[in-house]
Amino acid sequence: MGPNEAGQRRQRKDIIDKVTGRARYTSDLEVPGMAFARLVRSKVAHGAIRNIDTSAALALPGVVCVVTAKDFEHLDMYYGESVLDQPFLSVDRVRYIGEPFAGVVAETQEIADRAAELVRLEVEELPILENAAAAMHAETLIHPERPADPELANVCSRSVFEYGDVDRALAEAVYVHEATYTFPAVYHYAMEPHAYLAEWTSAGLDMWAGTQQPHKVRADLARIFGVPHNQVRVRVPYVGGGYGSKGQAKYEPVTAAMALVAQRPVRLVNSINESFHTVIRHAAVVTMRTGIGADGRIIARDSQVVYDTGAYADKGPRVARKGAYRSAGPYSIPNSRAVGIAVYSNRVPAGAFRGFSTPQVVWAGESAVDEIARHLKMSPLEYRKRFLTERGEPFLGDDAPMDADLPQGLQLAADAIGWDQPRPPGRGRGVGSGVKDGGGGAARVEAEVHLHRDGSVEVVASTIELGQGPQTAYAQIAADGLRARFEDVRVRAVDTWGQRFDPGTNASRSTISVGSAVYDAACQVYAQVCDAAEQVMGTSQDLRLDGPDVVAGGQRKPFVEVLAEVRRLQPDWLGSVSAIGVQDTTKGDGPLGYSSSFYEVGHSAVEVEVDPETGVLTLVKCASVADVGFAINPEGCEGQDEGSTVMGLGHTLYEELEFNGPELINPSLVDYRVPRAEDLPHDFHTILLENRDGPGPFGSKGAGEGGTLGIAPAVANALEDATGVRIRDLPLTPERVWRALRAHEEAQQLNIAEDRS
Amino acid sequence: METEFTLNGHAEVVDAPDHELLIDTLRARMRLTGTKRSCDVEICGACTVLRDGQAISACTTLTADVDGADVVTVEGLADGDELHPVQQAFVDHSAAQCGFCTPGMVMSVVALCLEYPDADEERIKEYLSSTLCRCTGYVKIIEAAQQALEQM
Ligand code: FES
Ligand code: FES
Repeated sequence: MGPNEAGQRRQRKDIIDKVTGRARYTSDLEVPGMAFARLVRSKVAHGAIRNIDTSAALALPGVVCVVTAKDFEHLDMYYGESVLDQPFLSVDRVRYIGEPFAGVVAETQEIADRAAELVRLEVEELPILENAAAAMHAETLIHPERPADPELANVCSRSVFEYGDVDRALAEAVYVHEATYTFPAVYHYAMEPHAYLAEWTSAGLDMWAGTQQPHKVRADLARIFGVPHNQVRVRVPYVGGGYGSKGQAKYEPVTAAMALVAQRPVRLVNSINESFHTVIRHAAVVTMRTGIGADGRIIARDSQVVYDTGAYADKGPRVARKGAYRSAGPYSIPNSRAVGIAVYSNRVPAGAFRGFSTPQVVWAGESAVDEIARHLKMSPLEYRKRFLTERGEPFLGDDAPMDADLPQGLQLAADAIGWDQPRPPGRGRGVGSGVKDGGGGAARVEAEVHLHRDGSVEVVASTIELGQGPQTAYAQIAADGLRARFEDVRVRAVDTWGQRFDPGTNASRSTISVGSAVYDAACQVYAQVCDAAEQVMGTSQDLRLDGPDVVAGGQRKPFVEVLAEVRRLQPDWLGSVSAIGVQDTTKGDGPLGYSSSFYEVGHSAVEVEVDPETGVLTLVKCASVADVGFAINPEGCEGQDEGSTVMGLGHTLYEELEFNGPELINPSLVDYRVPRAEDLPHDFHTILLENRDGPGPFGSKGAGEGGTLGIAPAVANALEDATGVRIRDLPLTPERVWRALRAHEEAQQLNIAEDRS
Repeated sequence: METEFTLNGHAEVVDAPDHELLIDTLRARMRLTGTKRSCDVEICGACTVLRDGQAISACTTLTADVDGADVVTVEGLADGDELHPVQQAFVDHSAAQCGFCTPGMVMSVVALCLEYPDADEERIKEYLSSTLCRCTGYVKIIEAAQQALEQM
């Protein structure tokens, strides 16, 4: 049956709370007896800890306790996604500037802040490995306990994907393009800093956390504190932005540890400066060799991607693995070898960030393809359309077949900026396409739908409302499955007590996985109501729920009466008008160990204008196509794509975490420039492509990351189109553009001079 | 030090240390947590409130500096369940995602409507550039501002 509610523009379930200031975030919460915490962070990038002097801090009136690793020698203090290398407070070493080595708990935030400044760290300094490039060839090891890589030092992980015969194909190629592209470290800037509230009660640990992965956090807390899962409760109120920065455990363990020692509820709310020192996007260096056959086709690609994962692994190994895998896309390339290396350095740890490793490799790949098309004197648009992976073709060797029409999407983006119209002088146009294997594969998830006696509906699904809109979309999905009214459906906030396991709200996975389970549950409840109605009303024809009433076959009866009667008629009636829906995607295999559940696709097309005097690059037009399969909540999908495109504009034009050696020198919004309203392209379009070809409810796919993928190369490609200058490093700041224009001009003059002589 | 001011229509007297910031008075003392704290340095606008009808950042304003002033926070806009036209415009355009910037954004748009009732798109973009949003890409916020300007 086709959707009725899904696909409609509906008022967001959370919006009244949000416009009135009533929405509660973790940083707003307070419980009786609560104390306030501040972490004390290292000013040294790399050192062996000799002593931590807490006496002055402890002497300050109002200080409840000061904790260090010494207080937790009985615990396994380490956590991490795949590598347990990060202690919640420094154990014997500090490995980056900003690493927390002590925690202060006090009666007020002000006292905690003052006391934190009084804690003294004494270290024996160790050689500093300021970035991945330095660390790969260093003698010093940041994590000496980790297994050594055969070739390089300080390798956190190395992933290799290979199919076909790359060396032979490169040897046979008529043209081999080789270049290195760099992508800077950038910061999520979720506007709500990391925030937590922990309390130990006789029932165990009660934790409020602004997290994207409460079940993963629960498992970490249970392991670290040696308590069973049923004694760890993680509740997630509204979260002020995530974009990956609030995935896996962050400061939940240390907050719980402080609460344990303080024997009080403790709230920890980072400052933004501290969140800058918590997790960032990996800086990457991508080296690509691309071999072209006689017909112009890409016959081989050999890429190496080095991701600077900073002092701790966080999600670095997975980032490097996925990045390597994705570096061969989105073209159909018969021979490929991709190596992804995550390298430790004495920098802020890098982890998940919207796009998850893909913006880095798409920046390289889509710049390279443009350079190749120009070399072949072909239109960059036509070249791409000819060689993009076709619908139904296995992706990257042997992954699930491409589920999208890539050339169609790219053409839509190009059309939206008037690609075929004559270019005004001084302007250039460019496109970029990115494909990211979507999340939601390799998991079995469940969701519950409950139909209450008054006809109201409750959905219990472990997806965090980060702003991406599951509370609204799931209500639409459930309303369709139950043929109920949207306004009668509510989706509960996430609480690990009594709610089903979910791997996490990330990777654009929720709609196709949890959303499908919600639909399944709603359809099951619908079948139960139909069964009851047939027995009580003698019909279930066109049954729907209209507020408190069941309407079927021209009759109307309050649901509460239908329920009472069916139970009277049939004491053993099994319908509970609640159901558990399931979505199981654990089957299948592919290069990643499972086949991709769907492909998240983003196409960008831009027209830019460059001021040769200042190097300022202005986006005149920008179009983004999000291939969402089916938009359950069209306004929500648009908003996600607009937001991710503008976030992508950040790393394209403005954003870069700057380091002086290992020290982050712009950890403040004064110096770290994120996009503002005035930066919006004059002509800015988001287009939703809905071919109903996804695995989610009604053919939907995941969305919300695609906008970050193609925008940077599209702009660099447009810059070359306008000026003839190719820049392979981001961001495209006025200074960088201006220098490149100067260098280009000088080179041309030199050529002219040489030609004359 | 005692500071007397009007807060969302009610007379208030607070006895706070001289250095106390308005954001802390609002959030910690008065428990009005609608005003959000993000950048702490007057860049993001999440803490925007109105002082005598003008947008100010509560994170860099001393409480002492609102003595005698009329202060309005996001909690003071709606009349019961009746939303302020700016709030309604945000609802109509789905102009919030995570919502953390939203109170400050709403207050900035209220101030914009008071200060530049005839603002065009360029003016809106310029004015709202002192209020950041990391989720929405601003498109729907600008649409909401346009609707609010038309209606007020
Ligand atoms: S918190 Fe006040 S402007 Fe950012
Ligand atoms: S809605 Fe999240 S920052 Fe604006």
